[in-house]
Amino acid sequence: MPDTTRSCLFVLFLAPWPCLARAEDKIEFQRSVLPILSSYCFPCHGPDAGKRKAKLRLDQRESAVGKARSGRRAIVPGDALASELVRRITAEDEDDRMPPADQALVMSPGQVSTLKKWIEQGGEYRKHWSFEPPKKAPLPALEDSRRVVNDIDRFVFARLEYEGLAPAPEASRESLVRSVSFDLTGLPPTLEEVDGFLSDKSRKSYARMVDRFLDKPAYGEHMARHWLDLARYADTNGYQYDTERQQWVWRDWVIDAYNRNKPFDQFTVEQLAGDLLPGATDQQKLATGFNRNHGITIEGGIIDEEYRTEYVMDRVVTTSEVWLGMTLACARCHDHKFDDLSQEEFYQVYAFFNQVPERGANGFSPKKRLASPLAAARQVELTLELNRLKNELNKPMGIDGKLERWARGVAGAPGGGWEVLVPREMKASGGSTLRRLKDNSVLAGGADPRKNVYDISTRTEATAITAVRLEALTHASLPGGGPGRHSNSNFVLSEFELTVISEKKPGHKEVVQFVRARADYSQAGYEVAKAIDRTVAGNSGWAVDGPTRKKPATAIFIPVRPFGFKGGSRLNFRLRHEASFANHGIGRPRLSVSTDSPDLLQLKGVPADIRKIAAKAAGSRKAAESARLREYFLAEHNPRKGLRDRIATIEKQKAASFPETMIMQDLPQPRATRILHRGQYNEPGKKVEPGVPALFPEMKKNRSSRLGFAQWLVDPEHPLTARVAVNRHWQRIFGLGLVKTSEDFGVRGELPSHPLLLDWLAVEFLRSGWDTKQLQRLILNSATYRQSSHVGADSYRKDPENRLLARGPRMRLDAEEIRDASLAVSGLLVPRLGGKSVYPYQPKGLWMELNNRPGYSREYKQGTGADLYRRSIYTFWKRTVPSPMLKTFDAPEREFCTIRRSRTNTPLQALVLLNGPQFVEAARKLGERMIVEGGKSLAEKISHGFRLVTARRPKPAELAVLEAAYRAALERYVGDEAGALKLLKVGESSYAAEVDVKELAAWANVARLLLNINEAITKG
Amino acid sequence: MPDPVFESKLLQNRRQFFGRSSTGIGVAALASLLSPELFGGDRKGAPGGLSGLAGIPHFAPKAKRVIYLLQSGAPSQVDLLDYKPSLEKLHMTQLPAKIRDGQRLTGMTAGQKSFPLVKSPWKFRRHGKSGTWISDLLPHMAEVVDEICVVKSMHTEAINHDPAVTFFQSGNQQPGRPSIGAWLSYGLGSETENLPSFVVLLSKNTFHQAQPLYDRLWGSGFLSSKHQGVKFRSQGDPVLYLNDPAGGASAERRKMLDRLAKLNRLREEEIGDPEITTRLAQYEMAYRMQTSVPELADVSNEPESTFKLYGEEAKTPGSHAANCLLARRLAERGVRFIQVFHRGWDHHSNVKRYLPTLAKETDQGSAALIKDLKDRGMLDETLVIWGGEFGRTVYAQGNPNAFGRDHHPRCFSIWMAGGGIKPGMSYGETDDYCYNVASDPVHVHDFHATILHCLGIDHERLTYRFQGRDYRLTDVHGTVAEDILA
Repeated sequence: MPDTTRSCLFVLFLAPWPCLARAEDKIEFQRSVLPILSSYCFPCHGPDAGKRKAKLRLDQRESAVGKARSGRRAIVPGDALASELVRRITAEDEDDRMPPADQALVMSPGQVSTLKKWIEQGGEYRKHWSFEPPKKAPLPALEDSRRVVNDIDRFVFARLEYEGLAPAPEASRESLVRSVSFDLTGLPPTLEEVDGFLSDKSRKSYARMVDRFLDKPAYGEHMARHWLDLARYADTNGYQYDTERQQWVWRDWVIDAYNRNKPFDQFTVEQLAGDLLPGATDQQKLATGFNRNHGITIEGGIIDEEYRTEYVMDRVVTTSEVWLGMTLACARCHDHKFDDLSQEEFYQVYAFFNQVPERGANGFSPKKRLASPLAAARQVELTLELNRLKNELNKPMGIDGKLERWARGVAGAPGGGWEVLVPREMKASGGSTLRRLKDNSVLAGGADPRKNVYDISTRTEATAITAVRLEALTHASLPGGGPGRHSNSNFVLSEFELTVISEKKPGHKEVVQFVRARADYSQAGYEVAKAIDRTVAGNSGWAVDGPTRKKPATAIFIPVRPFGFKGGSRLNFRLRHEASFANHGIGRPRLSVSTDSPDLLQLKGVPADIRKIAAKAAGSRKAAESARLREYFLAEHNPRKGLRDRIATIEKQKAASFPETMIMQDLPQPRATRILHRGQYNEPGKKVEPGVPALFPEMKKNRSSRLGFAQWLVDPEHPLTARVAVNRHWQRIFGLGLVKTSEDFGVRGELPSHPLLLDWLAVEFLRSGWDTKQLQRLILNSATYRQSSHVGADSYRKDPENRLLARGPRMRLDAEEIRDASLAVSGLLVPRLGGKSVYPYQPKGLWMELNNRPGYSREYKQGTGADLYRRSIYTFWKRTVPSPMLKTFDAPEREFCTIRRSRTNTPLQALVLLNGPQFVEAARKLGERMIVEGGKSLAEKISHGFRLVTARRPKPAELAVLEAAYRAALERYVGDEAGALKLLKVGESSYAAEVDVKELAAWANVARLLLNINEAITKG
Repeated sequence: MPDPVFESKLLQNRRQFFGRSSTGIGVAALASLLSPELFGGDRKGAPGGLSGLAGIPHFAPKAKRVIYLLQSGAPSQVDLLDYKPSLEKLHMTQLPAKIRDGQRLTGMTAGQKSFPLVKSPWKFRRHGKSGTWISDLLPHMAEVVDEICVVKSMHTEAINHDPAVTFFQSGNQQPGRPSIGAWLSYGLGSETENLPSFVVLLSKNTFHQAQPLYDRLWGSGFLSSKHQGVKFRSQGDPVLYLNDPAGGASAERRKMLDRLAKLNRLREEEIGDPEITTRLAQYEMAYRMQTSVPELADVSNEPESTFKLYGEEAKTPGSHAANCLLARRLAERGVRFIQVFHRGWDHHSNVKRYLPTLAKETDQGSAALIKDLKDRGMLDETLVIWGGEFGRTVYAQGNPNAFGRDHHPRCFSIWMAGGGIKPGMSYGETDDYCYNVASDPVHVHDFHATILHCLGIDHERLTYRFQGRDYRLTDVHGTVAEDILA
């Protein structure tokens, strides 16, 4: 059966159109006739002038009832037999019959009789419903209005009453608070939130609870996350090498806008044309990043104009899908086949977006350094600190006092202050060898791979380690006489890394963050700081002019805070040589640590004569000695230099929090827009002026500018914008929109299930001043929303998609919600708002296996600490390789605007939840919470975890299963402590040292079960 | 005012609609129409698997499955499959303007002043009963020429990698459409309960200037994401997250799933949501995959003769040969669409140095796959395809001594074999310059139409409505290449 017929049936049965068709047999145009005409007739007799046959249009009544050249009329109102249309669709002769035989379309007898009847009844046309402005209908009367909370319920219950159905009972309080929490913040409620709601007995408790969630900062993140799908937001450029971009500042704008409840009309105008507003602020310019989120290519051989055209197309298509709920894309190549939209009109809209001063290849301009609204506080902090330091730099330094303090320190410090570390285990890449020498340096030898990573493991008793020293020494076996392995004597140390592990409690470990570095020598462009900049991209690393200098070199690295565990630390160093220069490894490294104050640290230890002078009291030094001491101090410890370094660092930090972000801008002289034949960039035709399709109301102001277009979209008279927006909110909350095809409100889209309700909501949205929070308050407070979804299999069988709304919403959570929920219930979630995207756990090699071209690709660099536990909206989004966890749960690739995600149920999802390290780690931490917070008894502990995940208490039968699971797991780990330890080591977070490992592992298993029940990933 | 009578009438219809068994529309089709996610699982009685569409196949299929060895970067037809004795004479002469005929060039050779033709440095010989011409670079393929059909008249529209490979994979140069494998999964469903219906294998890349691949090349576009290809990897878990966590009790896996099932069933009894049953079924399939995938990936039980056939390299996971062997094992287990991606054919310089390496990497495995499938009686039901996203220029890019070849969309060669394809033939001819198709052109859309045809699908009738339009893999184009059908 062809698809077209199916969708007709679908429309027929599921989409009532109540304002029409009262009489028993009245054929209703929208519901019954238009789908037939659009599928069978419009391809040749519709809006597309290029394909139109016999100059006949059946999408317009004047043409349909008018006289054709043949003298016949396609439709003679009231007389089916005299109508040429009827004759043709019933013709026996194949040459005469419509649709023509070669189109593989066959009208069913039912469809033929519908058309006949309609013509008999006068053949009335109506404008497509969604192209008429929404109007508020009077509220329907109800026989039983006891359950009504607000007017939404009147529309929904009226439907149910006529059907002889009653609304489902109200859902349990636990279920309600959990659903509201997910719908407004994308996170499960905390137990405090659950208990607060359960214990609030007042009549207003529910409304108050909804308001509390609306006020949380997590609300903005959750709403923004949905908007990012529409806005095809990503952190990379898509296309070929899929290089990185910095649009996250725009993403922060969206979060902030939702949290401020920016009215949807302003939200719209600022994103589409904020740059053109009079006196546009930086934040309004930032908002326009919306239409720069499309892919951009850097492929070498491409033709500029071809891709520039694609970018403009993408803007038109995305903007029309998001605000008009229909794609204009069909009219790119020809007049629209179903909606009354000509190709010329498409290019009129195109003209608004065709004015950006951009190019196809590397089309990243225009860009601007703009602050994230969420980083504002941090910006102020940094600015204050900068001002303070600069003031200090301008003040007299009091060198003498500082020198004396330093001299006292040197005199009192132990000799040299460096503990040379004894290498214990060493390994290097690709067949090269590392060998310990007597002086505890490590000599590299053997094969010499292009890239080489040294892992050197040592230990120390020291705690509060303030610095690490790396000496690159020379050796007779090294080919060039200098410190590098290459014959030119040079090395490039791409990255210097250190992980510290407690010897007493191996679960305790820390990846040391180095924040400063000094060296006695750095080659220009290869400063030592590049060895701790956390990137090996390009040739970022430390080098020492090996070919000319041929001398040893020394660097020291200062950590963000002192490190080292009591009871001994294992120090795992990693020296990465991954620049594109082959064979540039360090020949003979030696490692030391110090616990001295960083101010006192010397690269090589204080020379003996200086030490001697420093030990003397200031008054008893000879003049020459004082001079020598001062000279040394200024060379090594100049306080001004220290200040200058700090200023430079902060300025760099400040700049880094203001990356250049792509924004919209118009050319000073408008670019002419021409119709592109077949949509091809190289086949321009007639010139067109900016404008909107005649199908819609006219623009009232700024008729030739993008600003005018944006203002036109949010004109209260606009038939689509408000409907499309409220429908998407409904879709987000109920799983399906009132118009199921939320991406198509056009003639071929599905009719709304509750048209009057849709219009009522749209008008209400407008009336409230486009108040997005108020709209959701309305929906979530309705009795319709509060219905239980626990209504038995019969209800699901009869109405699988819940189109009648005879039960509450129920659906699987979105990918991001699933991950965020597991982080939240385990206590791992780091709720920091905004900022650069982060890199949570990801299986190794996923990026490089698709693209390993040097200079155009890099490994996924998994983050550490807080970055592993941020909300998923901050997960780095690489278009060509999106996060596999998110993708498995139906996240799109974000190559294009996505209005509606799939919601699938697959075995790969089971594997992610069962085995993904993020979830295994979350289970472990949830298990820990159950032990620590849960109470004394087994049942209390289990209940605690169960409530964290589901907001409710387990039933006795459920408790029994979980208790048995605990006992079995414990029994197993008693016999396999090593296995328990392995499980506890999944994930970077440490495990509770005070609890027995077998116990912990057993609880981790119970928690893993909890995170895998269907309820854990389902709302409602 | 709302119209209660009308609404009520509709709802009555609706009730009757659900109540009656079937009036001209299949019950299963109806069910899947109303809720594909809920009812999609049972058409072929495979609880964990995917069902196809009602009415498909449209006619008796010749092939049950496809193995597509995609050669990313674009292999040189001049040096491998399209023998051009005419170039002996034309060697080092300039490409005539009338032959080039306005063809747009990539940014890489657009600035080049001369376009000297260079003949292939390698010898071609005739092989097999069919006498098919094959370059000496492909000695193993030469042994199976009587099983394959070389299509020498392929042509495309794109001149750069990303749009060209996206075009081959999805029928459109811009990202956003479903890939071929996703279309097949959507149309035909799956034949196995233990494995996905669309599997992707990536060969390890060794060439320093290889083109990248993208997840979207096996993506599902606007189709349900359950149809996207599943990558089987040669490093780490063969399927992402397949293995139990460290310290996880794999022996207790079964018990854990039973407990999970118990908890879920308790909940389902109360709520009635059939989605819970579906999820249970997915956990069971995941469980089966934990056994079936490692078993599949473990080639240690293959006899030594297998490695004689595919070469020792087939023992190295991630090599083209290993992936060819894996493809056969996947085919044996009922996977519908298996795609192997091999990279490194983009030789803009020094063809003489790089091409033999790539030919060697792929030759034996590809030929072995044909022989192996034939020996097992599977070749006639498996469509095997080998080819890149476009061809390469007959003229030199850069210095003619260490010449490279640039991208060439106007003609290139691929081969097809097995299910539904006529063996032992060459199809289509290029002109003396190996620049334009001289006869029997096969466009990418025609290629797609032909693949679908072999699987029993009319490419004009495999559609999906999205945003009001009924989309096809072949857009509004495509003609089945009837002449190469068996």
